[in-house]
Amino acid sequence: MVAGSTKGAALAARRRRFDPLPYILIAPAVLLVLTVTVYPAIYAIRLSFTDANLVRLAASEFVGLQNYEKAFGDERFQLAAWQTLRWVVVVAAAQMLVALPVALFLNTGFRGRATVRASILIPWVVPTTVVAIIWRFMVDADHGVINDILVRLGIISQYVAWIGSPLPAFLIVSGAQVWTGFPFYAVTILAALQAIPQELYEAARMDGADTRQRFRYVTLPLLMPTLLLLLLLRTIWLAHSVELIFLVTNGGPGYSNYTIALYSFLMTWNQLELGYPAALAIMLAVVLLAASGIYVRVIERARSWM
Amino acid sequence: MAIQTATSRPRRGIAWWQAPLAIAIVFVALAPFVWIGIVAISPENAQFTRQVEYIPSSVTIENFFRIFEVSNFGRAFTNSLLVASSVTLLALALSIGASYAFARFQFIGRHLLIVSLLLIYMLPSIVLLVPMLVIFKTLGMMNTYPALITAEATHAVPFAVWLLTNYFAALPRDLEEAAQIDGCTRVGAMLRVALPLATPGIIAAGLFVFIASWNNFLFAFMFTSGDEVRTLPVLLRRFIPGESGANWGPVMAGSIMTTVPVAAAFLFFQRYLIGGLASGAVKG
Repeated sequence: MVAGSTKGAALAARRRRFDPLPYILIAPAVLLVLTVTVYPAIYAIRLSFTDANLVRLAASEFVGLQNYEKAFGDERFQLAAWQTLRWVVVVAAAQMLVALPVALFLNTGFRGRATVRASILIPWVVPTTVVAIIWRFMVDADHGVINDILVRLGIISQYVAWIGSPLPAFLIVSGAQVWTGFPFYAVTILAALQAIPQELYEAARMDGADTRQRFRYVTLPLLMPTLLLLLLLRTIWLAHSVELIFLVTNGGPGYSNYTIALYSFLMTWNQLELGYPAALAIMLAVVLLAASGIYVRVIERARSWM
Repeated sequence: MAIQTATSRPRRGIAWWQAPLAIAIVFVALAPFVWIGIVAISPENAQFTRQVEYIPSSVTIENFFRIFEVSNFGRAFTNSLLVASSVTLLALALSIGASYAFARFQFIGRHLLIVSLLLIYMLPSIVLLVPMLVIFKTLGMMNTYPALITAEATHAVPFAVWLLTNYFAALPRDLEEAAQIDGCTRVGAMLRVALPLATPGIIAAGLFVFIASWNNFLFAFMFTSGDEVRTLPVLLRRFIPGESGANWGPVMAGSIMTTVPVAAAFLFFQRYLIGGLASGAVKG
């Protein structure tokens, strides 16, 4: 790359400074992102300061911070905020509790491991709508396999419409989310486990560490960054996911399974309201941006090329 | 018991305690799916009895045809295929050049752009839902393919750029430099040397985008109102609020036909995909 003469070097350096090629290469992607994501996001902020509704869009008026103030006096919002927290914590923790043992088990290695890994990833590719159909069917009041099993075990005497009660509905949608979400967790943890150098285990063994100690002092510390990163990513994703809760419970019964994201979505969907839902979505995004910021910082350090 | 025993290579056999655990894990993962498979091949009369049949008394494939009669399944299948393919092609077309530039060139704004892209990727869909609704309505784009494709591109493009940038960054530069010494232009080196080497990464990115788009519910639900553009997940949703006596057979047949294309693609290409999964930026 370096030219023979100083003049050539200077020229090369200048060419490097004004090199248009990378800009040409990134331009289409950047332009698309600006028009389909950045512009709508800014537009969402503008809408959040109005009382806009889709059916009377032309008549919408600027209302300042009213939508944001409204949220703090809105009991449904407070309920949704607490339920968002419950949803994120319960599901993220449950997925981790399922995925970590599965990954540790897969890492012990055995004939047919590749088959097990492939089959546990199937729930991850199943479309959300199908996940919802499967789980609604399993708890169906007439044909549900869960009802059948519970009756056979003598726990209940007759079929129950589980989806009609707040806590069972929450557990059903959480179960569905854990089922479809744990495979990705498990496979990522497995990859991290396989990246741990064998020498460390051998060294620990020579120092007299037993299986439990090797797990505690070798596996766990080396796995921790991956686990924390997964939890962070999952927290962000769960907090703004609406699909499965909407499809399985529609937020109900009543408002018992509303999350902030679902509240925002249902208000737009049912009432074609725009201003207040936009304000709710933006408040959620701002909170999550902090988590995303941490995530990006961690990724930044892990990727030398960034 | 399931604690790390310090070997990552698959052993030749399977220990007495491993077999039942392996079977249990596969059971949890696949049983719900097997269960709807059973319902899909059960004859209609079996579904009206208030009783669960674990092994169908007789087997039929009529449900797989019934779903085409009771809903516009064929049209929705075509729509899903069309939208997911378009989103995939669009995302790949835009992201290959961009990710190559991010991985190979140092330029002003590079770092800021990568970070912004990652943050944009993590922006909640519901933030974009409201403004897009207004934009699409104003532009008369509601219930059109372009609306669905642009909406889904919001996540597909940042994701594909991120995954491919990781991939290009991991490829050695030597070959491209050698090609340039041999008289290849920089664009030539990218297209003729780096691109073929990145094929597994491109396949992975394309498949992840395709699967995500095929499965997408939120945007497809919000921006479609009729059967003309409606995709499979939106069509199937109509059957969820299963009132008593709902005809589950055809619904399950439809669910299976919706899942099989992506599941098959996944299993066929899993070699490429599992590396991409571990790179971290995949939702789920």
